Amino acid sequence: MSVTSVISEIKKDFIYNLLLKGERIDGRAFDEYREISIQRDVIRKAEGSALVKIGSSQVLVGIKMQPGEPFPDTPNKGVIITNAELVPLASPSFEPGPPNEVGIELARVVDRGVRESKAVDLEALCIVPGKQVWIIFIDVHILDDCGNLIDAASLGAIAALLSTKVPAARFGLGEDYVLPIRDIPIATTAIEFNDVLMFDPGVDEEAIANTRLTIISTAQGNICGSQKSGAGMLKPEQIYRIIDIACEKAKEIREKFLEA
Amino acid sequence: MIVMDESDISFFKDGLRLDGRRADQLRPVKIEVGVLARADGSCYIEMGGNKVIAAVYGPREVHPRHLQEATRAIVRYRYNMASFSVEDRKRPGPDRRSQELSKVSREALEPVILTNFFPRSVIDVFIEVLQADAGTRTAGINAAAVALADAGIPMKSMISSCAAGKVADTIVLDPMKEEDNFGQADLPIAMTPSGDITLLQMDGDLTRDEFKKAVEMAMLGAKNIYELQRAALVKKYSQMAEQPAREDVIVRD
Amino acid sequence: MDRKVVVPGDLLSEEAKRSGEGTYVKNGSVYSLLYGLANFRDKINVIPLAGKYMPAPGDNVIGVVKDITFSNWIVDINSPYDGLLHISEFPVRIESEEMSKYLRIGSSIMTRVADVDPTMKVELTLNDKKLGPIKTGQVIEISHTRVPRLIGKGGSMISMLKKEANCSIFVGQNGRIWIHGSAEDMDLALRTITLIEKEAHTNGLTDRIVDFLKKEKGARS
Repeated sequence: MSVTSVISEIKKDFIYNLLLKGERIDGRAFDEYREISIQRDVIRKAEGSALVKIGSSQVLVGIKMQPGEPFPDTPNKGVIITNAELVPLASPSFEPGPPNEVGIELARVVDRGVRESKAVDLEALCIVPGKQVWIIFIDVHILDDCGNLIDAASLGAIAALLSTKVPAARFGLGEDYVLPIRDIPIATTAIEFNDVLMFDPGVDEEAIANTRLTIISTAQGNICGSQKSGAGMLKPEQIYRIIDIACEKAKEIREKFLEA
Repeated sequence: MIVMDESDISFFKDGLRLDGRRADQLRPVKIEVGVLARADGSCYIEMGGNKVIAAVYGPREVHPRHLQEATRAIVRYRYNMASFSVEDRKRPGPDRRSQELSKVSREALEPVILTNFFPRSVIDVFIEVLQADAGTRTAGINAAAVALADAGIPMKSMISSCAAGKVADTIVLDPMKEEDNFGQADLPIAMTPSGDITLLQMDGDLTRDEFKKAVEMAMLGAKNIYELQRAALVKKYSQMAEQPAREDVIVRD
Repeated sequence: MDRKVVVPGDLLSEEAKRSGEGTYVKNGSVYSLLYGLANFRDKINVIPLAGKYMPAPGDNVIGVVKDITFSNWIVDINSPYDGLLHISEFPVRIESEEMSKYLRIGSSIMTRVADVDPTMKVELTLNDKKLGPIKTGQVIEISHTRVPRLIGKGGSMISMLKKEANCSIFVGQNGRIWIHGSAEDMDLALRTITLIEKEAHTNGLTDRIVDFLKKEKGARS
């Protein structure tokens, strides 16, 4: 038994006792997010970047672009490659090494939001059809895991993309220009514990959760991605309730932070 | 893409370097203590365009168990660069350079850590380079020393690190990127405030006299950095102690 | 009494005999080993802000069983070192096969550190009326560095809290604290402990806690 799960025994009871009184450990409402802050252009060597804080969670996303070959089945479309590094600096339970299933899932969910919302016009990234296209690397670097990394990473990805400049000059392809972004997908995540739904879980709440559901919604209020994670079960009514609140929360976050 | 070689660059103009510094000047330094919630100790440092964050976990249980030592803590140091930290995106994961850097950096800090206080445990130091601009290893060591102090790890003294270089036949302090790439030598050191050297590397071409000059200059730079590390730690403590008394603290009602 | 913020390696005194906790002697002078507050009395001690809980004989601690071997329960005590509770230190004589019946993995116990050897092998005991498995009440975790403040000089702070909140309280040196009382009383005790942890390093805390307790109890009735 790892240290993390042993600590959960004491904290699990503590959180459970509070839940019975209708409270969360930090006094938040069940659909309330911790304080969010987004700083853009923090890494000038990158084509785009954003540092996102949700409560004490911190995620840094960097965007790098370079010309490259398209995939054979999409010869006229640019390429997006999303990777997440859950570096050991960010949590006592992250180990050095290539991404494990948790890191891979996180990267793929972030990618889903960007890709399925069509926020980036991939055809506009074509340089020479069939030969050369722009490749966008979305690199998520977790700095401090205090819970709800998926929402922080997704927010970081779209915030970084919104401030990305295509480095055309460096590759002799004309002048640098702002990467056009057509949508603002926002991921919002809730956990379920003892039939209670809680949004923006902190790290202790995540440790005791039975299951977790992430909903990614677009600026129009449609859903472009979702992911259930964890070995628990959800009833359809719970899912629909989560979706309703998720889209509301996403709208609030989008309006407050990312709309010009 | 334009390729430059050293004959294209004039490193000095009117006695000043490409970024306006004198030969013996450090780039601007910014140090923040305790920037991470999960880590036991942490430090964020900017040195010129370098942005580096250090975290310390420990002492903690060693996994796998067979690595533990009966009478003291082992120290592990992992230097890692973020993919977006450099001009051409870097593939994630350790390479030979980061492994060598990790080893010599660990050896720069180990001499002052009182590992015998913590048998059968590990003190982990993690460095993430978020933006690189020549001198990431020295920035890493400087941040690591502050993070170790922040974590409450007992040390005989702090460790401070700085590099000297040679460009246009002149010894310069804290080389910037172009001086590092196209200069004639690079010499990073780390030391205790009293001048005991715990890291020394060099590549390039130096006469014995130039080598001595470079070491002396780097040591002056490190001493300067020590004062900044110390000031950052003292400032953080004073900020905590100054927290005013609050009437209604508990939020739940 | 002089106090100063120090970092590792700071020179504290040229008199070796004044070397206290968190310091070391070299060439007859005393230096700091830690980042923290140096207290200049007869001996100079450096109190760190951070650091892990290091078990010492006599410490009361609250542990959680994480594994069971043939003759020991392995207990997490919120330290880089696990505690070992030997079957003979259980207050009742039991057989090895019965161990998980009495204390299973995940059980919390109020226990005491009996001995610590040079390799930091930590031996625990339950052989005392005041110790035993936790079955009722609640456990809260605070930073172990705040425990001295919670206890107070000669136990003054913790005695006051026990009386005013009308709760039984067991304070573990490792930062884990057990409380038992009515739901309302436990709630007050928990909120007071959280407040003490937040403000442990400030002046005038005792008075503020007295006021806080008065106000909260007044608001109840």
